[in-house]
Amino acid sequence: MKTPEEALAVARERALARRPEGELLPSPELPGIEADRQAANRRLARWALIEPDHAEVYSTRRLGAPITAFKRLLIRLLRQYFDQVTAQQSRFNAHSAAYMLALEERVRALEDERARTVEQPTDRDPQGESR
Amino acid sequence: MKVDQVLCAAGPVDAVTNQALAYRRLFDGWGWEGTDYAEVIAPTMEGGLVKPLRSLAGDRGGGVLLVHYSGYTPAIGPLLGNGRPSLLISHNITPAKYMWDQEPFEGVRCSLAPDQLAELAQRADAVAGVSEFNAGELRVSAGRDDVSVIPVLFDRSRLGSPGGEVAAARGPRVLFVGRLAPHKRQDLVIRAFAGLRRLCPEARLTLVGVPISGAFEAGLRGLADELAPGAVTFESGIAPEALWDRYRSADVFLCLSEHEGFCIPLLEAFHFGVPVVARAAGAVGEVVGDAGVLLSPDDDLTTIAEVLRIVVSDPELVSELRLRGERRLAVYDHELTAARLREQLTILAG
Repeated sequence: MKTPEEALAVARERALARRPEGELLPSPELPGIEADRQAANRRLARWALIEPDHAEVYSTRRLGAPITAFKRLLIRLLRQYFDQVTAQQSRFNAHSAAYMLALEERVRALEDERARTVEQPTDRDPQGESR
Repeated sequence: MKVDQVLCAAGPVDAVTNQALAYRRLFDGWGWEGTDYAEVIAPTMEGGLVKPLRSLAGDRGGGVLLVHYSGYTPAIGPLLGNGRPSLLISHNITPAKYMWDQEPFEGVRCSLAPDQLAELAQRADAVAGVSEFNAGELRVSAGRDDVSVIPVLFDRSRLGSPGGEVAAARGPRVLFVGRLAPHKRQDLVIRAFAGLRRLCPEARLTLVGVPISGAFEAGLRGLADELAPGAVTFESGIAPEALWDRYRSADVFLCLSEHEGFCIPLLEAFHFGVPVVARAAGAVGEVVGDAGVLLSPDDDLTTIAEVLRIVVSDPELVSELRLRGERRLAVYDHELTAARLREQLTILAG
């Protein structure tokens, strides 16, 4: 084959010929790594309660060790204030997460109910009148 | 002349950071001054290369402000439209839908970014995208007709030589380089590769890229173990020399991304003479041009596997693709792009 265009045309023909043999591979529309919804919910709940890691407080400057020590001392001195802010944020996060999880449960329940309704036709006559 | 650069975030393996550093080398060569700033700096970033954005507030030195936009960053807003000449370059915003399940925080940033970018574009003196795809999006969202294209600065001299000693491998080698992320669709690359394995059982796949999350990488590894056990290699954070070796030993570069703002690895593949098979999505079609096998979104995995088989077994086609790849690189010539950038910045500086 001389050109990529030719190669693509030939590949399409060959793929077409293979399909009746059951060779067609699935081509998922969305990312094939299925989202683990339960894991995502657990992560949301875990993240809701924030726990700032004081080890993450450091200086990126060269020879920044004294600055790092000073920053950490400041945090220790202001611990009461930080704990208050953290608790306030966690409270808000937890309520938001709980609200979203509850909403998701309601959506799932509605979807299940709808699926059941579609699977089991209602006891109605063709004119739509209930017997 | 002075040009300060502002980045949303800076990291050692971040493509936008590397672009800004390449610009800086260029500016240094032209005798221009300036400093590079970022709102978030990765701890692994070499010290002194990029300074915290807050330190820009005290800089009254003037000059042009060049903003590399790649994600929602509230602190950038006040920097534009205050009298200092500014150039805004849009690199890429990944659609948020790809991030929700894997990185919700990233998803929030991605969902806020398009509005912020449009607002910043209205206030900047000049606006550009690294690809026509990016520029086109910006023309629509910001309502500006004067959005230009300044392609990624691609310096071949910093890459290794295309040839070189690489241990001979059994069977064809498929390669993809890019962050392990949902929009890059490495899952489809693995599935298509599994299709090739049915036709060429000795084929191997190498995926190079830093994972967006441990869970996502684990998912991809699980898929690889299921569909092509022992045939897929995952690598991340490898040295440039090792990466060049991966290109040298590859028989085909397969890109099935659903969204790309540019995709530098395509140019790297051209440089190393690796035939490219890519899906025409985002800016990929525009970057590849006629230099690769360009798949349409309708082509399924059977077709992709067949394309791979043809490419790895047809020397005549490989020669043609290498020739076209070399020609394609001329469009992204380093000097050409540098001249375009210099012209834009010189006009702004007045």
